[in-house]
Amino acid sequence: MKSFPHRLRSGALSLTLALAMVPPAALAHHSYAMFDMAKTVTLQGTIRDFQWTNPHSWIWIDVPDANGTVQQWGIEGMSPNYLERRGWSKRTLKPGDKVSVNIHPLKGADRGGSFLSVTLADGTVMRQSGGPPPSSGPVDLTPPLRNP
Amino acid sequence: MLVVGPAARSDSPQARPDLSGVWEVTFGVRTRPGPGMPEQPSLTPEYAQKLADFKAAQARGENQETPQANCVPPGMPAIMNQPYPMELLFTPGKVTVVIEAYSQTRRIFMDGRKHPDDPDLTYNGHSIGHWEGDTLVVDSVGFTPDTALGPSQGYRHSDAMHIVERFRLTAPDTMEVVTTIDDAKALTKAFSATKVLARHRDWDIAEYICEQNNRNLSTEKGKAGIILNH
Repeated sequence: MKSFPHRLRSGALSLTLALAMVPPAALAHHSYAMFDMAKTVTLQGTIRDFQWTNPHSWIWIDVPDANGTVQQWGIEGMSPNYLERRGWSKRTLKPGDKVSVNIHPLKGADRGGSFLSVTLADGTVMRQSGGPPPSSGPVDLTPPLRNP
Repeated sequence: MLVVGPAARSDSPQARPDLSGVWEVTFGVRTRPGPGMPEQPSLTPEYAQKLADFKAAQARGENQETPQANCVPPGMPAIMNQPYPMELLFTPGKVTVVIEAYSQTRRIFMDGRKHPDDPDLTYNGHSIGHWEGDTLVVDSVGFTPDTALGPSQGYRHSDAMHIVERFRLTAPDTMEVVTTIDDAKALTKAFSATKVLARHRDWDIAEYICEQNNRNLSTEKGKAGIILNH
């Protein structure tokens, strides 16, 4: 996307890798038709708000564009239900945190995307899978089949 | 006072394998076709045409999104394949399935009743169950054709859809569910699939109010939208 400012690093993932990273929970709620799943963008900015809500968490992040103008981005993540079982909490992100967020951007010019991972100021990387679950059971990020 | 223990009931958890608790579909194992069954539903000409019409609209940019983007629950069978857990509760004469996704509940009557002769058509249908050895067998009818058969919204079912689910433990915290679907109007033959669920003994079902902060939407023609004001 040519409109992305220089602070956004854009790189295409292979389709296979992109699909492998599709988290299952969002599929339960909606399709990915509006996201460019073949593209990954890194946003560097400051957390404005972290909405710990269903059916999705939302990361609102202020990102300076090429002209230094701060632009707000909205990043859709998994639900609190899913994330809380995988090491996240409502306090994982706080307003003012300096972070780097990888997303699949929306198709078109709107400033939004589908969450992939966030790197916190101390270097901690949080993915939606969040590492091993707190109890037994396999974890896999391949999308579910929606027929029985 | 005479106390009759629950073990006296043929459907009591004491007499049967304990399937109670919080379960999540293990997508790592993946849903797979049952033995001798087709992987995809085999549609009658009428329903094959519905699928073709759906795909033609998709080619025009429609039907990219599902009603679930508007928080409409998917109904059966898809509600049993969500990436959120469900809790099985066993009480005398009834199994209750508390499904986290879309805050859905299924009631499986184990008290010997039959299906209604003319059931109201609902998203999750009318379910009756019984034990066959170590297997809980659940028979469901009465589904509204408003919901999809899957695997996409283009695969439709009729009001004649009939689902049989067979739940059994394959390990202490592993449950296999074989689901078989027939539909005299939509399918030329039944199809079946098997999924595996893991029991999470330290999990509880959480609140899931889809309407709380839903910023996704599907238009009448199934086009995807997203709301970014904040």
